[in-house]
Amino acid sequence: MAQCVQSVQEFVQDSFVPMVAVLCSEEADRITRKNNLNFAELLRPFCRLTSEGHIRDPNNQVQVVKNLRICVNKVVTSEGTTSAALNPAQRLLLNEVVLSCQPQEGAVTNVMTTGDYELNFSATTPWFEAYRENFLQSMPAADHEFLNHYLACLLVVSSTEAVPVEQFLKLSQEQHRIQHSGEYTNPKWFIPNTLKYYVLLHDTSEGDEQRADAVYEDMKQRYGPQGCYLLKMNSRTFSAEKDEQIPDPWSQYLHKNILRNQVSKVTLSKCTRIPLSSDVMSGSLENHALLLDTANSSGSLHTLSAVNTDLKKGARDPDVLVVGAGSHGACLTLNDHDHIRQFVQEFTFRGLLPHLEKNIRQLNDQLVSRKGLSRSLFTATKKWFGGGKVPEKNISEPKSTCGLLYPPEAPELQIRKMADLCFLVQHYELAYSCYHTAKKDFLSDQAMLYAAGALEMAAVSAFLQCGAPRPYPAHYMDTAIQTYKDVCKNMVLAERCALLSAEILKSQGKYSDAATLLIKMTSEDSDLRSALLLEQAAHCFINMRNPMVRKFAFHMILAGHRFSKAGQRRHALRCYCQAMQVYKERGWSLAEDHINFTIGRQSFTLRQPENAVIAFRQILINDSRQTATQQGAFLREYLYVYKSVIGANDISLPQLPLPCINSSATRVYFGHERRLAEGEKQAATHVSLDQEYDQDSSAMWCHLEEQLVASVNRGIVPANFQTTQCCLNNQTDNLCHPLAVVEEPIIVEITFKNPLKVSLSLSNLSLLWKFSSDGTSSSKETKTEDLTEETITNEETTAVGYFMLYCLRHSVDFFLSIGHQTLDLMVVRGKQNLKILGPRLNLTKEDKMLIRHGPDRRLDPIITPPMPLMEVFFLQFPTALLCGEIRKAYVEFCNVSGVALCGLRVASTHPDFFTFGSQATTPLTPISPNSAENCSAYKTLATALQPGSVASEVLVSADDFSQPSGVIEIPIDGSTLQSGESTQLPLWLRGPDQEGVHEINFLFYYESTEKGLKISHRVLRHTVFICASRSLSVQASACRSSVPPHHCQDDKGSGGTLVFVDVENINTSEGGVREFHIVQVSSSSQHWRLHKYINPDKDKDCKLGSRERAKLCFRATRCKPHQATLDAVEKYTFADLNLGNERIISSSTPCGDFFFRSSSRTSSIGKSQASLPTEDRGSDITSIVKKCNDLDLNIIIIWKAYVVEDNKQLILEGQLHVALQTIGKEASSLTPKEEAQEMVLLKFKSELPPPVVLPCAELSQLIKTNLHYPETYTHPFVQDSLCLVPVTLTLSNCSLAQVDVIIDLKHKSSSPESLEVHSSFAWVGQTQYNLQLKPQEVLGLSLQACFLRAGVYNLNTPQVFAKPSEQSAMRETSQQTASPALIIINNTCEACWPADRRT
Amino acid sequence: MAVCIAVIAKENYPLYIRSVPTQNELKFHYTVHTSLDVVEEKISAVGKSLGDQRELYLGLLYPTEDYKVYGYVTNSKVKFVIVVDSSNTSLRDNEIRSMFRKLHNSFTDVMCNPFHNPGDSIQSKAFDGIVSGMMVQTG
Repeated sequence: MAQCVQSVQEFVQDSFVPMVAVLCSEEADRITRKNNLNFAELLRPFCRLTSEGHIRDPNNQVQVVKNLRICVNKVVTSEGTTSAALNPAQRLLLNEVVLSCQPQEGAVTNVMTTGDYELNFSATTPWFEAYRENFLQSMPAADHEFLNHYLACLLVVSSTEAVPVEQFLKLSQEQHRIQHSGEYTNPKWFIPNTLKYYVLLHDTSEGDEQRADAVYEDMKQRYGPQGCYLLKMNSRTFSAEKDEQIPDPWSQYLHKNILRNQVSKVTLSKCTRIPLSSDVMSGSLENHALLLDTANSSGSLHTLSAVNTDLKKGARDPDVLVVGAGSHGACLTLNDHDHIRQFVQEFTFRGLLPHLEKNIRQLNDQLVSRKGLSRSLFTATKKWFGGGKVPEKNISEPKSTCGLLYPPEAPELQIRKMADLCFLVQHYELAYSCYHTAKKDFLSDQAMLYAAGALEMAAVSAFLQCGAPRPYPAHYMDTAIQTYKDVCKNMVLAERCALLSAEILKSQGKYSDAATLLIKMTSEDSDLRSALLLEQAAHCFINMRNPMVRKFAFHMILAGHRFSKAGQRRHALRCYCQAMQVYKERGWSLAEDHINFTIGRQSFTLRQPENAVIAFRQILINDSRQTATQQGAFLREYLYVYKSVIGANDISLPQLPLPCINSSATRVYFGHERRLAEGEKQAATHVSLDQEYDQDSSAMWCHLEEQLVASVNRGIVPANFQTTQCCLNNQTDNLCHPLAVVEEPIIVEITFKNPLKVSLSLSNLSLLWKFSSDGTSSSKETKTEDLTEETITNEETTAVGYFMLYCLRHSVDFFLSIGHQTLDLMVVRGKQNLKILGPRLNLTKEDKMLIRHGPDRRLDPIITPPMPLMEVFFLQFPTALLCGEIRKAYVEFCNVSGVALCGLRVASTHPDFFTFGSQATTPLTPISPNSAENCSAYKTLATALQPGSVASEVLVSADDFSQPSGVIEIPIDGSTLQSGESTQLPLWLRGPDQEGVHEINFLFYYESTEKGLKISHRVLRHTVFICASRSLSVQASACRSSVPPHHCQDDKGSGGTLVFVDVENINTSEGGVREFHIVQVSSSSQHWRLHKYINPDKDKDCKLGSRERAKLCFRATRCKPHQATLDAVEKYTFADLNLGNERIISSSTPCGDFFFRSSSRTSSIGKSQASLPTEDRGSDITSIVKKCNDLDLNIIIIWKAYVVEDNKQLILEGQLHVALQTIGKEASSLTPKEEAQEMVLLKFKSELPPPVVLPCAELSQLIKTNLHYPETYTHPFVQDSLCLVPVTLTLSNCSLAQVDVIIDLKHKSSSPESLEVHSSFAWVGQTQYNLQLKPQEVLGLSLQACFLRAGVYNLNTPQVFAKPSEQSAMRETSQQTASPALIIINNTCEACWPADRRT
Repeated sequence: MAVCIAVIAKENYPLYIRSVPTQNELKFHYTVHTSLDVVEEKISAVGKSLGDQRELYLGLLYPTEDYKVYGYVTNSKVKFVIVVDSSNTSLRDNEIRSMFRKLHNSFTDVMCNPFHNPGDSIQSKAFDGIVSGMMVQTG
């Protein structure tokens, strides 16, 4: 229960006060009317007595009466019985009282914190107090109690009357008639001989004062000085002292009176209308109490508002009638006020209190005299004789409800009367004992109504007894309420009892009991009462020691519901709003929605559409658990309300709650959207909004850009380098303001989400933006024109709106409407702010504790001056290639901006995929793509086919081709591209060596010719996918040739190396590729070259069908040493061996370029290894050995493929590279497929490092041996049994170190098969030689072999051991022997003996 | 059997509410929400007197005109509320107790699910099944 202004004692005391009636003569009435008051009203402000009165109780004890209030009322006679309920007029009055008493705006509210709830509510409820006061005052006088029966009657006559005494007589008779004639049941009178108090009213302004005094003297004579009074008033004239400010004590009392008048008038005029309309209201609102049944109440807002205005009109009309009600007591001075006060005091103390005292005494005497009779006898006689007090059954009320009714003079009632009188004069002790006695009597008589009344008053007087000799008997009250309610069906009395009891319980801190009591009192018969009591119950819950917040909220809702049923919208709204505080954002969405919905409706009907919009909006924003139809209804209501708000002011667009903008998913794209293809041309893909953001790819692009920037800035990436980001999304780094170029568009993609189950349709979406120059806020909102129609259906997320604009601000603006069906009906326009929250910070401790977000500047671009803008187009760009295929395409660079650009370069993830050609050779190629059709990509020379032709050689510096890094400068004319200019360049492509789909990324870089701009450079991305299919597989191996050195003319020592090239057609496509032709084999190396094609079969142009394999054999020789090698510049020797008619110059553009690109990795390794041993030659065995086996020969196989495609034969060309590193090791053009790494057992101990193995195999190749001897030798064994054959053993040192060599001819190898063969011949002469060979030295050693008979012998038995000279500690290693050297020894017949051989 | 079964988080927001006459869901929401006041009152009262030896079953929270509301609190202060029709007089205290125990067991299973995020509303078929078994069969 809320706090009250009055204390409990005051309140209870004031609830029961002595009643005084007033009868006025017409003349007297006229005088008081001057003050705009009647007599009763005139006295009202002075009815509370400030001084103490005294009364003697029956035992002659003086009883102090203090703070007494009397109630003076004009006698209003009426007929009819007392009803158990309030009449409609009274109800309306109460309704109006509550309606007029509203909480002030911004009134002081209590803030209460319980648990995690913080509640804001008003602690006082003045409307409830007003209601209570009015309710108690309007209590009808009942038969079973006498508290509001009139005790006295004031007879007022004016002194201006002709014969005032006669008037008094007349009034006195009138009073008598009213009381005793039985015509009127109302008013009721306490005691048969009512105190009559004669008042002579004298108007000083007009009457004759002496006459008045004379009359007063006469009255004193007649009625005694205690029974009459002369009241002088109206001493102020209208005209005089108009300015004097006199306090108006009436206003606070009479304001209720005015209301009362109004209501009675309204009831008269609109008696039929208002109850009807309020029925309509309650009917329409009833449904929303707890079941949200809006389906049938669509459009109910319209009717509601209509009814509401109707009621308002009705209520306000009489207001106009009572004009000038504001000024009361206009003719009264402050002196007059004192006079009146004095009069009331005089009347009470001289007239009323003695009268009461006298009556109490009388009653007491009666009771005492009767005390002798025993109670039981008394009742027995009553039963036997039924004497005097026949229990009369009231016909109007059912028998069972109240039991019997006593006649007015019944002795049981006397005691009650006495109790009431004692109570009124504040003698509570006596009153309690009387009530207690009366209660017993009534109960034994089963007079329930009487008993309940006695119980109620007994409890009250027990409570009011000061010093509290006994505890407050709460159960008396409970019984009384129960009886009133259930037995007597008298809700009014029950309500009064409950109000009193609740207030008393509250004062004792028994909030829980009070709440239960109040809740019990709610019933269907009065919504207003139920509402008020529920609200008080809610306040009880919150005021408990452990506040019950949720109960408070729930009962507030119930109260709100009842208020709205009673037509008290404002109170209803207030209740719901207070309850909302508890339910808000706590997960009880269903309840929250319901409250919001009700708040919305009430606000709307109360002409607070803004609040209504907010409430409805809340429903829509919340994660709704409602059904689709319910959501549809909500949305419809929202749109309706919203529309009405918009109708009022359309200056600024309000916020729309729907659809939800997923702001973090917003993507911002700077620049034009790319045309992907233009005829034959294929534009660079760049970045488009269709692409998903990919962390890896963006890192890759960033790396490429870094490479480019580094290459521009001499290898250093500047500290302030930032990656160019065209498309910003939630994964990109948005900490810096993005840079946007003036006059280039910015595209914003916004993602909307419809959280509802109802589809929404959006139309006319546009983006609002603001531009501010240099930070000054000279900005205005501008709107982009964009018409998009979009329907978002159930809970769908849609990315909508590619808004094109040139600068922007954070706001989307669109029409919102629901579904298709209501498109034309309910369309509202609003906007939504686009505010992007940055990622959550998680670095410092504070960040982790709180939820902080970093900045996100996606939508705050800085606009920079014009920058060049380049577009790149590709012509004849293939999508599929054979591995190693060479294709020529064209690339076009267009400067589409107004600013010149320069510094064009490109970086790629696959630099070996393409080349722009080296500067030296480009001019030769035709510039236009059309003229070069069907032409070979290679530069060729026609040469005659010569068998056994020797390779033609070209010496080329690697610097002509290779670039320092993956960045390639694009050779355009003049290195700048003026605005609007475009240039076309040829571009050679080579299919990747590995089959499959390759993603190849290009990043083009360019900068403005002007320097020092905010944007240092711009980039353009391009991604192509190339599908590479298998072509040829080339395996190459090299081995030392055993051909003696003198066979090759220009070999100076180490002899030739044989290179075997295995080519296999591994193309798998069935129809497409017919056959491959190996056109040319070229070599490129710093030290070696291919010298000769030595295929055994003379099939030149080598053809390879599907799955065919060919073996080519070449001899390679060392290059001639060049002077250039001494320089830092490395020269490569390109040797071409063409198998066809044309010689392709492998050192020129496409071929050479790709060679350098592909081999760039491998050759760089080779170089680093080659450079090492020059410093510590010989110190490291392995390096020496390596060096000796090092070949570093790169073989380029150029092929042509005949392909049938669309019945047309195409010739494709390509080249494959094989890098031969060492002799004896096979190299392949196909990089071995990386096998999926098998699961390796986890080892917990590190394995022992493999033991160092001496490089025996390598060391065994230090020395190359050759045996020179005649192939056949004829010897006449008949003549000479010993045949001596001279054999030369040539030793050539392959290494670059001095080598010690031991040649042992006698050495027997352990293998048995060799034993067999050469057992029959022997070396003669010196059988062991120790030699030292200088680097690359060739030494011949003459040996002699001795044969005993003819046959075939293997001469290759000498064992050669070698070791580098420096390695003294090492043992000589056995050198690898060449293949068997066979000699045929013939036995000659005598006839053909040559004469010379005989010797 | 029950007409409404609710599981309320420690912070007093609903983890799970299911009621039989679905059209009157809101009413049950209000009822359950309001009953939390009584639950809290009972918890604080019990905490004082018995200390750790706490009875999880709270008994009848409060009777309304049409329903009886029973409460149960786990040790982690998750509340179970069962609303029973007042007209159903056959239900004894022991049966309510066993219903709560069953509910608690099933709830524990839900919490043991490693994929369940504590604090999220319960979306478990098994739990649904247990609840359905305890609800009044309509139709």
